[in-house]
Amino acid sequence: MLPPASGTGQYFEKAAKSIRLIRQGCTNRPFYHISVTQRKRLNSQPVIEQLGSYDPMPNINNEKLVALNLERIKFWLGKGAQVSTPVAEILGLAGFFPIHPRSYMTAWRNRKTERENLAKQAEEAKTKENTD
Amino acid sequence: MMSVLINKLPRNNIKTIITRSSEIQSCRHLSIVPSLYDDKDPAPTFFSSQVQILLKRLTRPDLSKVFRKRCNTGLFVLRTPTYKFLTDKELEAEIAKANEKAEQLLQMPPVVKMHQTINEVLSEDPALIGYDSCKYLFTDITYGVKNEHRIIVERDPDGVLRNCDHDIRKRLNQTYFPMNGRKIKEPIMFSDKDRFNDLLDNSKYEFILDRACIQYEPDEPKYQSVTSITYQHIDLKKCYEILRSTRHFGPMTFYLTWHQSMDNLMLELLQGNAIREAVLLTSLRQHIHGDVINGGEAHNLAQQILPTPKQSEKPENLTEEDIQLDNKCVECIEKFIVGNSAMKSQHELALQGFREHYQQLIDLSRGLRKAHGGV
Amino acid sequence: MFSKFLAFKRVVQPSSSLLTRCLNNNNIVHNLKFISTSSVYCVNFFNKLPAEKLWKSVTSVSNAGAKKGRGRGAGRIRIRDLNRGQVIGVGKINMLWPGLSAPVIRGRELLKQQRLPDDSERMEKLIKLRDSMTKFRRLKLTPIERGWSGNRMPGRSIGPPDPIGEDEFVGFDTKVLQLRSLLIMKGSLGRTKNYQAMVVTGNGQGLAGFGIGRSKEAPAALRRAKNRAGQKLMHFEICNGHTIFHDFYTAFGKTKIFVQMKNEGYGLKCHRAIKEICQAIGIKDLRAKVEGSNNLQHIVKAFFIGLLQQRTHQQLAEEKKLHLVEYRAENEYYPKVIASPKEVRTKEEIPKDETLDFIQYVMNDKVILKKKKFPRFYETMPHYQIYLKKYEKYRNHEKIRLNLKTEYGEVKSFLTERYPEEKAESES
Repeated sequence: MLPPASGTGQYFEKAAKSIRLIRQGCTNRPFYHISVTQRKRLNSQPVIEQLGSYDPMPNINNEKLVALNLERIKFWLGKGAQVSTPVAEILGLAGFFPIHPRSYMTAWRNRKTERENLAKQAEEAKTKENTD
Repeated sequence: MMSVLINKLPRNNIKTIITRSSEIQSCRHLSIVPSLYDDKDPAPTFFSSQVQILLKRLTRPDLSKVFRKRCNTGLFVLRTPTYKFLTDKELEAEIAKANEKAEQLLQMPPVVKMHQTINEVLSEDPALIGYDSCKYLFTDITYGVKNEHRIIVERDPDGVLRNCDHDIRKRLNQTYFPMNGRKIKEPIMFSDKDRFNDLLDNSKYEFILDRACIQYEPDEPKYQSVTSITYQHIDLKKCYEILRSTRHFGPMTFYLTWHQSMDNLMLELLQGNAIREAVLLTSLRQHIHGDVINGGEAHNLAQQILPTPKQSEKPENLTEEDIQLDNKCVECIEKFIVGNSAMKSQHELALQGFREHYQQLIDLSRGLRKAHGGV
Repeated sequence: MFSKFLAFKRVVQPSSSLLTRCLNNNNIVHNLKFISTSSVYCVNFFNKLPAEKLWKSVTSVSNAGAKKGRGRGAGRIRIRDLNRGQVIGVGKINMLWPGLSAPVIRGRELLKQQRLPDDSERMEKLIKLRDSMTKFRRLKLTPIERGWSGNRMPGRSIGPPDPIGEDEFVGFDTKVLQLRSLLIMKGSLGRTKNYQAMVVTGNGQGLAGFGIGRSKEAPAALRRAKNRAGQKLMHFEICNGHTIFHDFYTAFGKTKIFVQMKNEGYGLKCHRAIKEICQAIGIKDLRAKVEGSNNLQHIVKAFFIGLLQQRTHQQLAEEKKLHLVEYRAENEYYPKVIASPKEVRTKEEIPKDETLDFIQYVMNDKVILKKKKFPRFYETMPHYQIYLKKYEKYRNHEKIRLNLKTEYGEVKSFLTERYPEEKAESES
């Protein structure tokens, strides 16, 4: 009953394609397919081809698993498919693309909040010492 | 406070005693220390055609055992047998096909050196520190790529992109391209030592080795330790007969010879009156280590023995050529015992027993030939 | 003495009841003075005839009715023993009669005749007891003794044949295959009824035989058939101790049977009579398809003929002058030569139109009709497609649950331990 990974979506030669994440899991359990579709199509509609998968929930070993069919990704890139930002980020982390600027921004923001938290904690500790 | 401590002390003592005793028990089971192929690569020797031929001959393949009823073929219900009328020629062709299949069934699991850990950093990007608290594992699922050549990389939380190590590679390959029978989590029979020892004690060697072949890669340390313990256990119990006519006999013989502990096997061969196979074993040792005194002679004899049929097939029908060859074999083994054996007295006793038995056989076959009117 | 008393009671009772009724109507105080002295008929319908005739008038069915089957089975009226449960000295009015229903002296006290409070349950008990006699009860058999259907004879075991002289049939067991009544017209007697039985007897180790017996009574017919079967034993070889040597086709009259040999553990999938025969012989695995007439005697005869016409593997190889080779799936299809003829033909010596296929040869070029399998009626309906779509996402859940249970002992994952507060919340 499920469509095959080769996809069942309509294919128009000239229309713009896009490689994007398509949410497949259920409530509270996200899971994504990396698929190529017509750019103007909704994510709920059939895709042209599935190119991989991405599991955003860390598994028991604290790892996030990504599968990429690099051969087909290269093919669709050659056809001029546009890559959505989350997919570009994943490909950047995989070393297939240059690292996406948004990854750097996220990392920087995370580091910043971490630093602030640490500073806050240190301050709290200090005030506690002073009151004691 | 003190009373609590005093109360606690004896309990602790009892506990420690109990745990110690259990340790002792488990130690008794684990007296076998696995020895791995970790210094020199055994693969070139193992795969050389001469050694392969010797190992296959030593396996002593018996077709009725090779094609025995198996329960691991995925047949849950027996099938109705089929019958065919065949002429002589067709029957020969069918038997030839069956022999090919037997060859396939007897194909030995490879013996190779243990793999090295992969530690290959592809790129470092400290600016990515803090991006995520967990690893990212990327697998290339391109169609038609073999498992060992598949690109599998990981992005660590500290921004380093590196190639994955063997255990992760195996896990991901099994996740995306599952192999029938292999489990992502290690089966309990291998991870639980008590259960593994139970299997060994019940002589389920073939089951262990078959399952190890599916579960592990041949260059994995766990595979090598499991097989090594099993082989040593067989060597201790001297139940080589269980593995004969199976694909695991060759690797076991190779393992025992490689680790200089083939004396028990030699003794079993001599006691079983398989003098020719004993010569083949010395020849194998010469191939692997090159430390046999009469190595050249053993090689020559092995070349003569290989075209002859299996020794155990018709013992009371000896021709003069057979007797000559066997006498040469006995001489060769004598020299080997003097030069290389670690169990000299036992080997000599066994050889003496064989000589007496053989003399009877010679008399019997000569008498028979006379009775039939031969020269 | 007692009977006289009863007679008196019978005479007095109806009149007294009559009297009391009319007295009640007239609101006159009951008094013994009013006993009428006029004569009373002490003979009526109930005491004019003996009990036997009375019962007959109730239970009998007319001749025409009996022909239609009335007065048999569950609806039949049965004779009841009204004396059962009645004790002398105990009656409707609960009286104590010393020396009859009670001892004369109890302890040190001399008992006196007296009226006790009425026992209201007595009548109910009596009626219950009488009703229990009338109920039609079937003969109950244990599942092991039971035959093919209910408590009818076919399929039931009737023990080994009777010994002949000193020769006993040790280890034999007989199964009834058929028991039926035959009606024959006779010149002098008109229509007479006979019973015909067909049984099979065997020791489960290759010896078996069947017999037909006829008699006026069913048990006699069974016994005669059983003993005849014991006299007509045949020996059959059993292939590998569990099945027949090869598939075969056999026929008797319009009955055709296609029998197939099967692997160990297949069981007996065939007509129930053939199953009983196989069990008597000792065959454990076989499949048989009956086509044409379902006449049971023909089935039995056809099957026995087919078994007798079997050829062993060696005979087949000799007939064909070719090696007979066996392939088994569990042995990785290793060609095992099971029979070789003395001289083997070469390929050139075999004529072109000869059947070489084993099954075709042993079936005598007959082919079993394989019925086409149609899709289930619901599979083409739209609701089934909807069902498939809806439940596809649950397709692996059962397996996953099982895996989790083997791993953790319950349905949970590593995340359950990481977030214990979630579990506490869901439990509350």
